[in-house]
Amino acid sequence: MAMIKAQSKTDSPAASWDPLDSIFCPESIAILGVTKTPGTVPHDIFENILTGEYTGVVYPIAPGKRSVSAVRAYRYVSDVEDDVDLAVIVFPASVVDKALEQCGQKGVRGVIIISAGFREVGQAGAKLEQRVTDICRHYDMSLIGPNCLGVINTDPAVNLNASFARKMPAAGRIAFLSQSGALCTAVLDYARGKGIGFSKFVSFGNKAGVTEIDLLDYLHRDEQTDVILLYLEELRDGRGLIEAAGRITRGDNPKPILVIKSGRTLQGASAAASHTGSLAGEDRICDAVFKEAGVIRAGSIEELFNSAILLAYQPLSAGDRLAIVTNAGGPGVMATDAATNVGLTMARFSEQTTKALAASLPATANISNPVDVIGDARSDRYQSALKSVLADENVDEVLVILTPQSMTDIDDIARTICDVHRRVAKPIVCSFMGASDVASGINILQAERIPHYVLPEWACQAMADAQRVRQWRSRPKAILELLPVDKAAAADIINDLPDGYLREDQALAVLEAYGFPVPAYRLCRDADEAVAFSETIEGSTVLRVVSPDIVHKFDVHGVALDLGDSQAVRAAHERMMADIAQAEPDANVLGVIVRGMIPNGREVILGAKRDVAFGPTVMFGLGGLFVETFKDVTFALAPITAATAGRMVREVKAFHLLEGARGTPPADIENVEQYLVRLGQLVADFDRIAELDVNPLIVASAGAGSAVADVRIRLG
Amino acid sequence: MASSNNVQERVVKVVCNVLSVDAEMVTPDSNFVFDLGAESIQSVQLVAAFEYEFDIEMDNEKALTVQTVGDAVEFISQYLD
Repeated sequence: MAMIKAQSKTDSPAASWDPLDSIFCPESIAILGVTKTPGTVPHDIFENILTGEYTGVVYPIAPGKRSVSAVRAYRYVSDVEDDVDLAVIVFPASVVDKALEQCGQKGVRGVIIISAGFREVGQAGAKLEQRVTDICRHYDMSLIGPNCLGVINTDPAVNLNASFARKMPAAGRIAFLSQSGALCTAVLDYARGKGIGFSKFVSFGNKAGVTEIDLLDYLHRDEQTDVILLYLEELRDGRGLIEAAGRITRGDNPKPILVIKSGRTLQGASAAASHTGSLAGEDRICDAVFKEAGVIRAGSIEELFNSAILLAYQPLSAGDRLAIVTNAGGPGVMATDAATNVGLTMARFSEQTTKALAASLPATANISNPVDVIGDARSDRYQSALKSVLADENVDEVLVILTPQSMTDIDDIARTICDVHRRVAKPIVCSFMGASDVASGINILQAERIPHYVLPEWACQAMADAQRVRQWRSRPKAILELLPVDKAAAADIINDLPDGYLREDQALAVLEAYGFPVPAYRLCRDADEAVAFSETIEGSTVLRVVSPDIVHKFDVHGVALDLGDSQAVRAAHERMMADIAQAEPDANVLGVIVRGMIPNGREVILGAKRDVAFGPTVMFGLGGLFVETFKDVTFALAPITAATAGRMVREVKAFHLLEGARGTPPADIENVEQYLVRLGQLVADFDRIAELDVNPLIVASAGAGSAVADVRIRLG
Repeated sequence: MASSNNVQERVVKVVCNVLSVDAEMVTPDSNFVFDLGAESIQSVQLVAAFEYEFDIEMDNEKALTVQTVGDAVEFISQYLD
């Protein structure tokens, strides 16, 4: 039996039995709650195991019945004379706990609870689910579900279809994990239509025991699996997932992970008061952190499998230089556009390749990339063109496009591609455009595991995803370096304060403790103090009201800028106090922050938010008043390395402004990166910081630093 | 008024008929689903059979929440009192 360690649980004590082997590779299974009524879940699961040619022994537990489908039935699992590795429970939710207790006492190691009626139905169900979890924990049983479709293992040594899917899928090298059971059946049908097989197929439902993280780690070790697909609705431990993804997607035994994460709404974001809070919906954070952890996020099932088959069937290319061979000019140009748009490079052929193409193709053919073998091409032309481009050192991968003309020998061309494919180690993907005329050719390609795409654009998207996998694996692992900060000084401020917004002077002091470039300032209680401090400032002065009751200072005229002399400072102070007294009569005004005016520069935002699933995150983007309008921001999990900070800064569109657009000198980018690292350190050190905005950080030209113009910190 | 023993005997008889189980399997603690293998449709059939046997009309929603034979005896007895 091909278990993870290829060992039986009964081997020597040194043998390592993975707890999840009891789920995927059981030697005996009891189905608890089997009925004789076809078309019901309790009946069909039992039938699926029987007809799926499961290699172990199965025991139907069906009180009151002598047999089910001619197999001797038992009243209780405890009546089974032999050991039971796996229990599949299909009893109604109300008696699942009783069944579990018996399983625990029997020594069952793994449990799949198919039954619904738990957390998904409300509080009473959640209570029941907790009890189920407790029982499994007490007896040390691995639990999949409840509320799931079940588990499939296509390994011929096991042949387990412990699910109520209609058919057992073909064996393959792709594993699919899904929180949604209903989606599983659709995916199985879709994959069957495309000739895609699976190694493992798991619907994990409410994940009351085994989580997607446990399953990812198991599949990482699974010799039958090369690519892991995950459909996820709810993230409970985002950070754990990202850490697991980091372990799995590179290193000694790297496996790509492709994820569909649904629920792309900005839940709760509209209620957030900070810029970062309103931008940091779970979906945006997911996008950013998945990318940073080497996880490919797909937008649809089609996209998911398009990329999965390329990663599972073909070797990773050595680079991103693509050659296109086509018998149709238009689709060749469309494919070139698509390839360029997704970041692939159109290969430049060597002189030798160009000569070889010129020698083997008609004079009317296009011998540069995309190679157009012309509409009347037959398999011989495809063969010579393919051999030439694949032999070129400047080509990393090839896309073959075919449109069916009357003289196109589609099946022969497909066979030719297969033949060439067997002789090279470079990835080849195909797009035989059309449907019925090209169907048999597509079947020939799929039988050879050459990825086929209805549209060349899909092929390009899949190749771009494979490039991301390649780049991720080759990215050096960055080491987190802690910068010298005064954590104690920040703790003195943060630890003593209640939840809510820090006053500006407190927030500035926290930033100062972490080495941020805070301009010299003083909290002045009255106009005289403000005037006196302003006289020590070179250049013009800024006044900013300080009150625990005022968060949005500009809204109450609580900010006065560019005050040239003492008279202007005094007048602005008087005006400000009068306006605030009118706008916020009950506000407790403690004074004003007085500081110098920061010279113009490029405005960026450095933000942070403690996310429910991911914990502390940092954000970077174009700053100022229009942050929410342009949404030109990116996220990462805190703390971050200098390398991550560098990538974040370069990822936003505003990077071109920082680089120096239209004759402006480059901004001090290194300086910004350093403060992003410091910000990550700050929010990782203090989990009470719920939201933080440094907006804007005004960045001067390269080498001239930056300055914090405004900061907002919320504890909670 | 029917004695509780008499009610229990009749309940067991109905249970054996509807679920096709032997009487020795049925005790007051027997859970209709877990111990006697009642399927969801049979739970509805049981309620109907109890009503017929005892010539009563029960609150079906409440009746379907009854889990054991003993609880069924108690539940039916309320209607007989």
